[in-house]
Amino acid sequence: MMEEPLSLRQNYLKTVSYLMPAGAIGVSLALGAAAPAAASEEPLGAQPSAVVKEGVSERLAAIRSAVSTLDMDRVTAAKGQGQLAWGNWGFGWGWPNWNNWHNWRNWRNWWRNW
Amino acid sequence: MTAPPQIQLLVVQPTPFCNIDCRYCYLPDRTNKATVAEDTLGNLFTQVFASGWAAEGLSVVWHAGEPMVLPIEFYRRAFRLVDELRPADVPVSHSFQTNGTLIDEAWCRFIADEHIGIGVSIDGPQRFHDRNRVTRSGRGTFDKTIAGVRLLRRHGVPFHVISVLSSASLAAPQAMFDFYVGEGIENVCFNVEESEGGHVSETFAASGIDRLYYRFLSEFWRLAAASPGKLAFIREIDDATRQVLRPQEAGFSNQLVEPFAVTSMDWCGNIATFSPELLGMKSADYGDFIIGNINRDSLADMAQHPVLARMLADIRAGVAQCRESCEYFSVCGGGEPVNKLFENGSFATAETTYCRMTKMRATDLVLDRLERMRLAGDLTASAAGVATVSTGVASPVM
Repeated sequence: MMEEPLSLRQNYLKTVSYLMPAGAIGVSLALGAAAPAAASEEPLGAQPSAVVKEGVSERLAAIRSAVSTLDMDRVTAAKGQGQLAWGNWGFGWGWPNWNNWHNWRNWRNWWRNW
Repeated sequence: MTAPPQIQLLVVQPTPFCNIDCRYCYLPDRTNKATVAEDTLGNLFTQVFASGWAAEGLSVVWHAGEPMVLPIEFYRRAFRLVDELRPADVPVSHSFQTNGTLIDEAWCRFIADEHIGIGVSIDGPQRFHDRNRVTRSGRGTFDKTIAGVRLLRRHGVPFHVISVLSSASLAAPQAMFDFYVGEGIENVCFNVEESEGGHVSETFAASGIDRLYYRFLSEFWRLAAASPGKLAFIREIDDATRQVLRPQEAGFSNQLVEPFAVTSMDWCGNIATFSPELLGMKSADYGDFIIGNINRDSLADMAQHPVLARMLADIRAGVAQCRESCEYFSVCGGGEPVNKLFENGSFATAETTYCRMTKMRATDLVLDRLERMRLAGDLTASAAGVATVSTGVASPVM
């Protein structure tokens, strides 16, 4: 039996609420560290997603819903403290429509050192 | 088309010539030493800015031939021309994708002064790089490329690398990681050797390639996470993470399937759109993919070109198939037209090997890691890890 979308979102909410405040690098490091000891030797069928009942699109929807919920809470809290600004949305990550041509790295969205 | 197109990326071929002869290169005309005329550049940028199709800003990539075979003075004049034609409220950024073999002190100074984005093509350690990235006499180019990379670092010029993964390097994530760290390379992008144009990739055709790619990325990510601060950016992982963890309201589109979002011009002014690799290729259905010449035609007329209409109809049919059939549609938006055409024989198709690797397996990897954290329920430990890594580490993105 598939999990209800709401409970799936609730489950992810717990995970993303720990992850997201760390920002892009923090999330990347935390997820990267959540690897099996020898990731390169692990058979694909042993990955958690291989035993999860929900499909990829359902999980993506649940995760994004959790991120939105979390973000809304954050914006509401910021509003209450008189700190609402555009930058408060999306944990400052920014989700642009970036270019995905594979010889291109999209400097404008990724590179801020100039 | 209803809404006016938005050009987001302009790929300009300053010359088709390349000073090296990589075995997997898809560019058909790379011995031709022609150079784009200043009038042609003038016509291009005059039209682009006058069209209003780049009102929000424009990224220009000088590519599709080795950009540094032309003298610095060529770019000095070209950038001045662009600046003169550019409306005051339209920001323009320039980037080079280069093999790095011609970088010298003068180039470093120019790149720094002009804030040019630099991507260097280097395939990892010498034993991997020199298999494919060779001169016309077949000699490896690693020594010259790495000398260029070291010079960029010495001058403090930010850059990223694009590494084409072969079956050998896919099996060696530790060696690849050690190479980047050893050379102080912090921003890494991976491509897998693809079948495109006249090049048929053995790596791409190998069975189980997407699993190999998954394992490579997985191990590479683990290594990077175990050495915080060594790598700032791993494109495939960072892109996939961002796509998975985006709020549901966040906008997303695939520029490669939108007409003119990526616009390419070859050295003689021919214009193509969608995947930049199409310019210079031929097909029975769409001829040479060219929708006009900037020295002769207006962008508005090109938007009405029958070849564009045919390509767009087929590309949209392919996107519709992806939307219908693919669980990963929301991370990809309908795939890469060039890969659909050369792998499946038609734009009006869905899944490709390219999709399976770059979108599906990369997304699976992020989902697996999230799932691992969720199922383990060890969020206290995870939170401690996050708190540690977040301290004093600024996000690289807006």
